[in-house]
Amino acid sequence: MALLDIRNLSIDITTAQGTTRVVDKVSLHIVDGSIHGFFGESGSGKSLIASAILGLHNPNWKVTVDRMFLDSKDLTKLSPSERRKIMGKEIAMIFQHPRSYLDPSKKIFPQINEVLPDISLKNRIFDKIKHDRKKTSTQQIKALFHKVGIQNDQAVLQSYPHQLSEGICQKIMIAMAIANNPRLIIADEPTNAMEAVTQAQILRLLYKLNRLHSTTILLLSNNFGSICHLSDFITLIYCGQAVESGSYKKITESPMHPYTEAMIKTTLNFNESIIHKSQLYTLQGNIPSSNQIPIGCRLGPRCPRAQRTCVKNPDTSNYKGHTVRCHYPTLDEKTA
Amino acid sequence: MLINNEFNEQKIQSPLHYIWSIFLKNNFAVFAMWVGIGLILISLFADVIVLYSPFLQDPEHLLSAPYWIEGGTTEHLFGTDDLGRDTLARLIKGFQFTFGGALVITCAITFVGAIIGSTAALTRGLKASVLHHLLDALLTIPTLLIAFILIVLFDPSYQNALIAVSLSLLPQFIRGIYNTIDSQLNKQYVVALQLDGATNIRLLRFGIYPNILEPIVTLVNRIFTMAILEIATLGFLGFGTQSPDIELGKLIADSIDLSYLSPWLIILPGLLIFIIIMVVNIFTEGLRHAIIQGED
Amino acid sequence: MLNYLFRRLNLLLITALILSIIAFIISLWSNQARTVQDVNVFILYLDYMGNILQGQWGISLINQKSHMQNGLIAFSSTLELCLVALLTSVIIGIPLGIFSGIYRNGILDYTIMSIALIGLALPAFWLAIMLIMLPITFDMGLPVDGNISPIYDIPMITGFQLIDSLLASDLYNLAAFVDRLTHLILPSVVLSFFLTSEIIRLTRYSISQVMKSNYIKAANTKGLTVIQIVFRHVLKNALPPIIPQLRLQLNTIISIAMTVEIVFDAQGSGVWLLTSIKAGDYLALSAAVIIISGFILLSSIVIDILQMFISPTTRKMLYADK
Repeated sequence: MALLDIRNLSIDITTAQGTTRVVDKVSLHIVDGSIHGFFGESGSGKSLIASAILGLHNPNWKVTVDRMFLDSKDLTKLSPSERRKIMGKEIAMIFQHPRSYLDPSKKIFPQINEVLPDISLKNRIFDKIKHDRKKTSTQQIKALFHKVGIQNDQAVLQSYPHQLSEGICQKIMIAMAIANNPRLIIADEPTNAMEAVTQAQILRLLYKLNRLHSTTILLLSNNFGSICHLSDFITLIYCGQAVESGSYKKITESPMHPYTEAMIKTTLNFNESIIHKSQLYTLQGNIPSSNQIPIGCRLGPRCPRAQRTCVKNPDTSNYKGHTVRCHYPTLDEKTA
Repeated sequence: MLINNEFNEQKIQSPLHYIWSIFLKNNFAVFAMWVGIGLILISLFADVIVLYSPFLQDPEHLLSAPYWIEGGTTEHLFGTDDLGRDTLARLIKGFQFTFGGALVITCAITFVGAIIGSTAALTRGLKASVLHHLLDALLTIPTLLIAFILIVLFDPSYQNALIAVSLSLLPQFIRGIYNTIDSQLNKQYVVALQLDGATNIRLLRFGIYPNILEPIVTLVNRIFTMAILEIATLGFLGFGTQSPDIELGKLIADSIDLSYLSPWLIILPGLLIFIIIMVVNIFTEGLRHAIIQGED
Repeated sequence: MLNYLFRRLNLLLITALILSIIAFIISLWSNQARTVQDVNVFILYLDYMGNILQGQWGISLINQKSHMQNGLIAFSSTLELCLVALLTSVIIGIPLGIFSGIYRNGILDYTIMSIALIGLALPAFWLAIMLIMLPITFDMGLPVDGNISPIYDIPMITGFQLIDSLLASDLYNLAAFVDRLTHLILPSVVLSFFLTSEIIRLTRYSISQVMKSNYIKAANTKGLTVIQIVFRHVLKNALPPIIPQLRLQLNTIISIAMTVEIVFDAQGSGVWLLTSIKAGDYLALSAAVIIISGFILLSSIVIDILQMFISPTTRKMLYADK
């Protein structure tokens, strides 16, 4: 069953040099209770899509979408206040550089307190009189911190963000995200620029959340190797075009798009023996800048399998839930 | 037109070009720019433009109103003062002194201030410290007081007023430049340049100045605005231009006794100051906007 | 923390030294005819400082009172004007600035910024004359000259005539206070034009910087409304940085206040200096340097230190320095 269903999401950004289509007809189909890995190189439009889902995009962007449903609610037809409610309760987001996403002038306690579910004016006034609000919320926060693995919670609660490390800040962000038991967590490169140990901790934490609470997680990353083994489903995006999407097994075992194949080859695999001093595999060329995107299939100039038809934009074709956007996908007997 | 841009090719513009193309889309700012250029031309060729000498007395028309008011003549478009001198000519002449002076001051301050500010920001130790304390001290003296002191030490004259105004504005500009450069110094691209072994000049030219265009424009605009206001204020208080030279603030002061007989003599110079400042500010506001957008 | 306090104190001392030297040079210059030329300048300076510290600042040529007394009375009147104007400007300017920063580049923003621009572009002395000339001033019976009507004889206690007239309420039953207030209205309106536009500009810039930041984005994902975001996250981060910016404007504000006082003929430091200069009494200038600059210096250091106690972001910057 699909928790989030997006069809043909396009984002156009107008600059003084003309309009660029930075995200071109991306469809996302996120299954309830899964971890959906969303892989793309930096600048491919992952973060743009994430902010478009939350409706946080810059007003200058033109976002067009055929269908954007969260469960059975049409996100495009909601009023801003309804959408806000959904954002707080059902979708939560985790960012990269977590420290900059915490208010620098406030201690951690009021910031977490603000997202706790039962915060309403009536309760707040009532609790001010009773003086035990702080106690109950402290207990709640303690439970949350326990879940995300922060040990000395009292000290952390009384600190300002600049006094904490990035790893702790990310854990706090996750604690804030799961405070309302959201159904979908969008994690935008949550482990970028962190030490390896912290990275592993954060990823394990997300994995645990998914398995224990069956929270759906959309995991955005630019590191194919680090996220692909966590994910149930994987979507790859290249220059704003979703090139291939399918389950972990299908993507890793029978990739159809040349880009996916290249990505799998570039992931170091120490089981196979690598010849000493041999070159590691990469795709030729560089990612084009956003104002020089090639027409047709955007991978075109770099694609080892490109032919004349590739100057036309390929359509998405679906092979038993495994979608690919290529004129010449690799098809073996099983898929065809 | 031959369409040969089949592949929708685009050249990547240089940043300055890009900023300029954004600026040109802002009609208000472009209009203000042309008016500003017009003002500069007027101030350069003031003596050629005026129909009457600003000192020529016309005994036939004393205190006549501007031509659109009853009692005004088209001979003197903006009327005359109590000695029958043409207001328009006097306005243009006064404008030349105020605007031209402010322009000169702004250029001088920008040049000197940029050098001192950059040097101060890039040096450490005793020299920088001495400069800082000196600046701090100068910044605590109100501009009017500095002007008073300088004018008492020397004599009140147009040149001394200009010097006083520039001395009072210079510390502000240096401080502003210093702060913006200082905030850039721990940016990664500047550190990278430093690690490359760039000399200070290279660091300023390629690392810092391209990134502080917006604050510089704001600062220069502010200096210019304050310079106009202060030159006029000093003129008004009688410490600036001495008779027979005229200047917008002095024009107001001279006719303050006539305020009920002919209020135009006071209203018009004030409006002119207002218009100058508005035009310059709208222009720089457009420029700033374009720079901010261009950097995004 | 202690280190910071120490550095501020150091700054205070050195700046005060430079200021005293400036004041000394002025006094030296004005007494030049009387000084014996072959006395060491250094000794003269020590002499001068000794006199200053003992409160012997010289006698004014205008009214035979001490310069210190004259200066303090005049400056307190200027300060009163500045504070009244500041109060009105903050009340008007901060909300407008907040609106314009939140709805940046909207119609509301453009309107507010145009108002601010007009406030900046009107020369203060001209605006003062215009207000005096306006017929409405007479309809409302607003006085256009002086500090207070001469019929009231207010005993000087604090130097701020608003407070003094309140304290003297047993003499005049608040009539003096109201009179002083009406005398303050026009000058403070003129001064507020500049000050309000300055505050709007600073607030708008600060708010829009904060609105662009990541934690506001995060607050959006928490599902807070715009009002909640502004009150919980924006204001606390955006307002403190305005204060040091405004502090840098202190000398401009005081000099505009002096100009306005001269036009309205209010007995403040502007008029005091002007009459002293015209009477050839240049020692008043060195007294003014000590009083006005001393005030600005002290208040800026107090503001700096207070701000460090109030705002955690400033403290953070302090650490990053080390």
